[in-house]
Amino acid sequence: MSKRKKKALMAASGINMTPMIDIVFQMIIFFVLTVEMERDSLDPNMNLSLSPHGPAVEKKDPRTVTIDVSARGRISLGRVPVSAEQLYAIMRNTVSTYGQSTPVVIRGDSRTLHEEVKRVMDICTSAGLWKVQFAAIKDKN
Amino acid sequence: MAHKRRRKRQLVEEIELSMTPMIDIVFQLLIYFIVTFEPQDVMAHLDVYRPSPEDRKEQTETPPNLIRVEVYAEGYIINERRVGLTELERVMTRLAAIDKNQTILIMATANSKHDQLINVLDLCSKTGLKNLSVVSTN
Repeated sequence: MSKRKKKALMAASGINMTPMIDIVFQMIIFFVLTVEMERDSLDPNMNLSLSPHGPAVEKKDPRTVTIDVSARGRISLGRVPVSAEQLYAIMRNTVSTYGQSTPVVIRGDSRTLHEEVKRVMDICTSAGLWKVQFAAIKDKN
Repeated sequence: MAHKRRRKRQLVEEIELSMTPMIDIVFQLLIYFIVTFEPQDVMAHLDVYRPSPEDRKEQTETPPNLIRVEVYAEGYIINERRVGLTELERVMTRLAAIDKNQTILIMATANSKHDQLINVLDLCSKTGLKNLSVVSTN
């Protein structure tokens, strides 16, 4: 009799875990998917230069525009290849929407000639953007 | 009465959560994520000042304490001296010891590699030089 009573009491006081587990799984799936999406926006075939002493990226400005310049000088924005004219139009649009202090990160391949990087920098500066940064790898994992 | 009690007990037992399948699945997921996980490289963003192409003509006179670093495909020139990367680092360390706020004008030629520019910028950030301008030459 007492044993049965105890068991019933335990079951009554136990927390129902099911909704919590549901929510936790939902969150896990959400975070896994969003991380993957962010990674997909960067070109994986890019061989960035090493800069072991450069300042690590801590807090990224949400407005940051990342421009990829491949080894052969192809410009792309978020893995979409663009021409110089298109890039200029996009940069002008960026300036009018987010202001001139929008940071521009140029991800240039280590084999890219400076000529190509110069072209991108000139487009950015003539559009009015002055915060130009170069991406490099600080620590290779 | 006895019948009712049995029914109640059955209901209580049904509520009890069976953890085994859940743990199985969680472990499966855990193993999947550990196996597919590849650590991302730590990125560095090297800040430079880039003069706008419009006011390029106005920059005829150069400020007094300005150090020119020229980047060529074959090597570097600092203060009219041809240097390699190790020598460049030595010179820049010495310059940084004098004044960290002096302007470094990095002149990159069109056919130099982007890697070389990053190397110079990395040295600047290593030695603590902050005022960096990047201009392009032919």
